[in-house]
Amino acid sequence: MAVSATSLCSFSSLCIGTPRPSLLTPPPHIPTILTITTPKRLHPSLSIARLTLTTTKANPSDIDTTFFDNLNPEEDVVFDPPAPPEGFVPPPSFDEDPPEPEDEIAAAYEELYGPAYSGVSVLGNDIHVMDSKVKKATGFGSKVKKEKVRDGFEERVVQVRRVTKVVKGGKQLHFRAIVVVGDKQGQVGVGVGKAKEVIGAVQKSATNARRNIITVPMTKYLTFPHRSEGDYGAAKVMLRPASPGTGVIAGGAVRIVLEMAGVENALGKQLGSKNALNNARATVVAVQKMRQFSDVARERGIPMEELWK
Amino acid sequence: MTRRYWNINLEEMMEAGVHFGHGTRKWNPRMAPYISAKRKGIHITNLTRTARFLSEACDLVFDAASRGKQFLIVGTKNKVADSVARAAIKARCHYVNKKWLGGMSTNWSTTETRLHKFRDLRTEQKTGGLNHFPKRDAVMLKRQLSHLQTYLGGIKYMTGLPDIVIIVDQHEEYTALRECITLGIPTICLIDTNCDPDLADISIPANDDAIASIRLILNKLVFAICEGRSSYLRNT
Repeated sequence: MAVSATSLCSFSSLCIGTPRPSLLTPPPHIPTILTITTPKRLHPSLSIARLTLTTTKANPSDIDTTFFDNLNPEEDVVFDPPAPPEGFVPPPSFDEDPPEPEDEIAAAYEELYGPAYSGVSVLGNDIHVMDSKVKKATGFGSKVKKEKVRDGFEERVVQVRRVTKVVKGGKQLHFRAIVVVGDKQGQVGVGVGKAKEVIGAVQKSATNARRNIITVPMTKYLTFPHRSEGDYGAAKVMLRPASPGTGVIAGGAVRIVLEMAGVENALGKQLGSKNALNNARATVVAVQKMRQFSDVARERGIPMEELWK
Repeated sequence: MTRRYWNINLEEMMEAGVHFGHGTRKWNPRMAPYISAKRKGIHITNLTRTARFLSEACDLVFDAASRGKQFLIVGTKNKVADSVARAAIKARCHYVNKKWLGGMSTNWSTTETRLHKFRDLRTEQKTGGLNHFPKRDAVMLKRQLSHLQTYLGGIKYMTGLPDIVIIVDQHEEYTALRECITLGIPTICLIDTNCDPDLADISIPANDDAIASIRLILNKLVFAICEGRSSYLRNT
């Protein structure tokens, strides 16, 4: 049974040491990483989660589900449980349990989790301990949102457009902002957001951008390893590496994405549609197709010199 | 993860009717490896595989509980709603047994606001503050309180996203499953012959219609959680 690709990539790096005994095919060699490695893209979202922005990702856990990664459905499964320990008494089902008084239940929960949002505290804990978590409604200018550059990502607005929805009563106007977020070290993200005010739209799109960040493979001269083309919708973008000193020679959205990624020397051309959002997304697609020479050599098992022949 | 004995025997499962599936016309072809036979227009799942998956799931759950992880049990069919609640209370986990509101985990900040409001309403009710309001307002607040109690009653002790989610019927709780997938939370799911086994991380092919079968599987998982928790408490 194949586990879906997303869960596979989340868990394959998270298993702990010993390979589990399995009656089916032995598990493939999984690199044993004893410390929990958080994928880089979670860092920005974790730091923002303090304040108003709503990026919430589950904490990467060390729960090992790799047993289920490569199951062969055709194989005959034999079920032989280990022997029961001596004196094993099957526990009563939860329906036959005598109903516990509410106070005991509340006390047990509170021991485990703290009073949280229960509103009552049986063990005498402070019930207002979760107050700081909820965002408070800010008055005008009383509290300036201080999440400007906390996580090292710079934002740049590619385009702000006023879009209209026509309803029976008239036209409803919104603003749609496209923002590219990046540190200049190889991480970029493109986001869209709509709101009734420009600032709100820019903020929403920045949140969105932080949710889909990719890494740009770069060589030591801050350029691409090789040419690539990417398309998204009707926009097609061609990217080409350049020698140091060239600078970024590309138009509009493509230039902003490459600059925020920290790429110094590159050539890019928008073939096809000139739509800013689609071109930004197409550069992201093009960049995702690129591979570093060392990775390809390692995958193919040949020395790097072979690739340059 | 060591394999432990979970008191899973096939006769018990057959009695509860875990091996029955849905009608043949409604199956999902991806379930083909887990279906052993077709009898009277109903698919029969392969019990050995079910038992195997169930024991592995119990192992995983025991392991996670012994590390102090948080669980969430989701089951909204009205037949199984109170069994889910009782099972979760016995295992001291969070649970959702009324409708799973869209965005409960992906929009966790808004859910937290609601939990906050729930908490405030409860404190007011306890201190008798509701009587200070005019009657109409008090009635509205009480209604809000009862709403929040039904939908959020099971998660009022939850401070963050759970670490493992147990879903009782994949077909019914499709939104919950989707949300967990986008957030990357490992899920254990009870799969029937009309569900997709590749979505959840651990899928246990079983019957999701009969209360007896759901109760049996929940029993085993709850037992595993309790054991794991007691070993966690013993070690720390």
